[in-house]
Amino acid sequence: MNTLSLPRIAYGVLVALLLVFLLAPVLLVFPISFSADNFIAWPPSGWSPRWYVALARESELLLAFRNSVVLGLVVTVLSLAIALPAAVMLVRKEFPGRDILFSVFTAPLLLPSIVLGLAILIVFVGRGLVGSWFGMVLAHLTLTLPYALRVLATGLKTLPPAVEDAAGTLGARPFTVFRRVTLPLMAPALIAAGALSFLVSFDEVVISLFIVGPQLKVLPVSLYHYVESRTDPLVASASAVLILVTLLLVIVVERAVGLRKAVGGGG
Amino acid sequence: MSAALLTRPRADWRGGTVLMALLAPILLVNVLTFLAPVINLAMLSFRGSGPGGSIQEGLTTATWTSLLTDSFYWEILLGTVWTSLLITFLTLLCSYPVALWVSRLGARWRNLMMVVCISPLLVSAVVRTYGWMILLGDQGFVPGVIRAMGMTPPRLLFNETGVIIGLTEILMPYMILSLLAGFGKLDRTLEDAAGTLGARPFTVFRRIVLPLSLPGLLLGCLLTFVLAVSSFITPKLLGGGRVVLLATEIYDQAIVTLNWPLASALSILVLVVFGAALAVYGQLSKLVD
Amino acid sequence: MAIARAPHAAGEAPRDAAPAAGLNSVHLTLEALEKRYGNLPPSVSALSLQLRQGELLGLLGPSGCGKTTTLRMISGLVPVTAGRILVAGRDVTALPPYRRDMGVVFQAYALFPHMTVAENVAFGLEMRKVSRTEAKERVMRALGMVRLEALADRKPRELSGGQQQRVALARALVIEPSILLLDEPLSNLDAKLRDEMRNEIRDIQQRLGITAVFVTHDQVEAMAICDRIGVMRAGRLEQIATPLEMYERPTTPFVADFVGRMNHLRGTRLEGGGVRVGEAVLATAGTSPAGEALLLMVRPHRIQMTPAATAQPEAAGRNVQPGTVRRVTFVGDALHYEVAMGAETMLVESSTVSGPQSFAVGDAVFLAWSPDDTLTFPAGTEA
Repeated sequence: MNTLSLPRIAYGVLVALLLVFLLAPVLLVFPISFSADNFIAWPPSGWSPRWYVALARESELLLAFRNSVVLGLVVTVLSLAIALPAAVMLVRKEFPGRDILFSVFTAPLLLPSIVLGLAILIVFVGRGLVGSWFGMVLAHLTLTLPYALRVLATGLKTLPPAVEDAAGTLGARPFTVFRRVTLPLMAPALIAAGALSFLVSFDEVVISLFIVGPQLKVLPVSLYHYVESRTDPLVASASAVLILVTLLLVIVVERAVGLRKAVGGGG
Repeated sequence: MSAALLTRPRADWRGGTVLMALLAPILLVNVLTFLAPVINLAMLSFRGSGPGGSIQEGLTTATWTSLLTDSFYWEILLGTVWTSLLITFLTLLCSYPVALWVSRLGARWRNLMMVVCISPLLVSAVVRTYGWMILLGDQGFVPGVIRAMGMTPPRLLFNETGVIIGLTEILMPYMILSLLAGFGKLDRTLEDAAGTLGARPFTVFRRIVLPLSLPGLLLGCLLTFVLAVSSFITPKLLGGGRVVLLATEIYDQAIVTLNWPLASALSILVLVVFGAALAVYGQLSKLVD
Repeated sequence: MAIARAPHAAGEAPRDAAPAAGLNSVHLTLEALEKRYGNLPPSVSALSLQLRQGELLGLLGPSGCGKTTTLRMISGLVPVTAGRILVAGRDVTALPPYRRDMGVVFQAYALFPHMTVAENVAFGLEMRKVSRTEAKERVMRALGMVRLEALADRKPRELSGGQQQRVALARALVIEPSILLLDEPLSNLDAKLRDEMRNEIRDIQQRLGITAVFVTHDQVEAMAICDRIGVMRAGRLEQIATPLEMYERPTTPFVADFVGRMNHLRGTRLEGGGVRVGEAVLATAGTSPAGEALLLMVRPHRIQMTPAATAQPEAAGRNVQPGTVRRVTFVGDALHYEVAMGAETMLVESSTVSGPQSFAVGDAVFLAWSPDDTLTFPAGTEA
C-alpha cells in the first residue's frame, strides 16, 4: 500500500513547502542578523557580527529589554498569586453565578487587543496611569490572568481523584491538605501558567503601545518603533536573541512539565 | 456562627467571606481594566468630540451618524471584512495539507511536528512581521529569488499583498491547531473501511475525511477571521501606512487624530463584525451537524 | 443446610439483626441518616443501623443506591442533611473528616503520587504529630502487615494495582483508626487478585478486631467476607442481615434478586393455602389472605430435576411439576437448564460435579422443590 506514487510525492513536496512558508520568517532572522550590510538585503554582501555589537551598544533597546523582563516577572508573580486562589474557589466551591464569573474572568481573551488597549487607554489617561509601571502591570494582568486562571483551573480539575479527601481522612486540616497535597500536585500547572503569563506579558505589543507613554520603554514597543522607522539588520540580531531566549524558556518548561500537556489539557 | 463554621465539614475555609476575599483581587483587576473600560468605551461612542481631542458633554448620536453615512468608513469596513475573508481562505488552503499530514504521523512524530507548527506563536508578532520584511522587501529574499529566475519581481511590501502574505503565515498555527483538534476525532479505521468498500483515495478524502473534519475547519476559520479583523501590528508594518483596515484606523483615530468617540465607535464596529462572524459560524456549525 | 422459612414481610422496615452481642459493645451507630442535594429526592434517607466492635458490615447495592454517599457521610467527607453518627457513643456528626479518626480506603486508592510508599503511609502519623522514630517503626510494621516492606521507597506509579491497594490499606490502618471504611476497594483489580485481596482484607480486619464498613456492588464479595450485609436501594436500607439469612430469607423481592439468581412466578392465593400459578397449584410456606396476587420466587439450585420416564418423585408435600428442557448452558462448575413449565420458563441449576444426571434439550422432566424454598411476596413489590 505504501508505494511512492506520484500523488504521494507531490503531497510530500507540498507539505514541505508549506512548512518552509510557515517557518521562513522566523528562521531567516538568523542569517540576516549576521549581515554586514547597512540595510536588509538578500543575500547579504558579507557576513559579520557587527549588528550584535551594535545591539549591545543600543542602550534604549537594552533598557527596554530589562524593563520587559522586570515587568514580565512582576506580572507573572502577581498572576499566579491572584489566579491560584481564584481558581481554587471557582473549581472547588459551588455557588450561584460561578460559571458566569469564570466566563467574565476569561472574557478579556475574546476582546481584540486593539479594542482593549483603546478602552484601557481612555480610562487610564485621566488617572495618570499612562506611562506608569502600575498602569502597565495592571493592563498586562488583564491579559495574563485569563490564561493563568484557565491553566490553573484545568490543573485543579485534573488532579488525581480523591487524594485530597484521602489526606483529610488521614487527619490533615484543609490548609495542610492544600499545602502538602494540592500544591505539589499543581506544580506542572503552576509552572505552565507562570511561563505563559511571562511570555504573554513579554510579547504584548498592542496594549503596551497604547498605554506605555513616551518615557517608559518596553521591548516589543521599542522594537515596533524601530522597525517602523528603520530597516537595518539590528532588529534581526535582537530578534535572534529573543527567539533563543524564548526557546530556552520553552525547553526548560517542557523539561519540567511538558508544556503542551499543561497548557492544552482541555477545559 | 464561627464555631459552626469550624466544625461543619468543608465549610470552615469555604465560607462566603473567604470566598469573596480570595476572588476579590481578580474581580478588581477585571472590573478596573476590562468591564469598566469596555462599558466606558461603548458610552464614549455616544459622545461628541471637540477640537484637540476634547470630549463634549451630553449624549449624541452624531459620531455614529457621521460614521455610518461616510462612505470612507464603509469602504474600510467592507475592505477589512473582504481582506480578512481572503486571508482566512488562504490560511485554510495552506494549513489543511499540513494538518492532515501531521495527523497521520505516529504519536511521537506527531507531537514533535505539532510543537514545530505552533512554535511560531511563541515568537513576538513584531519579530515575525520583521521576518516578512526581510523576505518581501525590495532587496529581500523573495524578490531576490524571482530576479535570479530572470523575472521582474512585483512590489510585495508596503501594500495589501504583503499584509495578506504575512497575516496568512502568522495565522497558520491557529488554523493548524483547530484542524488537528478536528482530525483527532477522525478514526483511521473509517478510511480503511471505506477503502475496503472500494473507495479510491480521493473519494475517501471527499466522502469521509473532509466531512468529518468540517467542525474543526469551521472553528479554525472563525478563529482566523476574527484574528485577521483585529490584527494591527502586521498590517501597520507590512502595509507601511498605505493599507487602511479597521484596526489601523482605530489606532490612528485614537493616537494621531485623538478622536476618541470615533475610535470607540469603530471599536464597537469591530465587535459587531465579531458578533456577525460568530452568528455565521453558529449557523454553519448547525448545518454541519 | 437448614431451610429457613421465608417471611412474608415485604415492605416492612429493615430489621436490625445485631443485638445478639449486647448493647455495650455497639461501636458505630447511624441514626436516621439523610442526605439531600438541593431539591432532588434524597440520596440517602432514614438510614439506621448499629455495628458491634470488630464487625465487618458490607453495604451492598447497585450503583447510585447511596452506599458510597453513606460511607462518605460516615467519614465526614459529605455533610449529613439530617440524622446522627455515633462512634462508641460519641456524636461525631459535626466533626470534619480530619477529626473523625477513620481510616478510608478509596476506590482508586487515592495514593499521593508525589510521595513514596513510606511517605504515603507516614502521612497520617505526621498529621498526628507522632515522633519520627515511632512513625518510622509503625510505617514499617504496617507495610509488613501488607507484605510491602521491600517497596517502601517506590513511588505509587511504580506499583501494580494490587500493591497500590495494599499501600492504601496500610495507610488507612497505620493511624489505628476507630473505624475502617472501604469504598469498592477491589473494583479496580482483576478477578483473581480480587479474591486474594478480599481474603487479605478480611484476615487483617479480624486480626486487628477493627470495626469496618465495606461498600461494594458485588454480592459474592460481600457474602464472602462480611459479618452482616446491608442491601441498599434508592437511598434506603432494604434489609440488613447475615449473609446466610439474607440469602435464605430476603425480605423483599429486590434483595432476593440482588443476592442471587431467582425464578419468578406469578400466582393467586387460593382458599386453603395453595397458590395457583397458571394450571398448577403450588404449596408455599407463608400464608396470606385468599385472592391476593403473589410473586413467587424459587432459587434455581433448590430445584431438583428428574427424568419423566422414571416414576414421579415422591411428593411428600413438595411441589412437583412436569416440564420440558428448552436450553442447556454449560457454565463450568454448573449446568443451567431452561425448562418450560406450563406457560412459565424455569431456570434450574445443577452442579456438574455432584449432579446425578444430565439432560438434553427436549427431555421431559419433573421439577421438584420444597414449599419452604418458595418465597412469596405481594405482587407489585418487585419493580
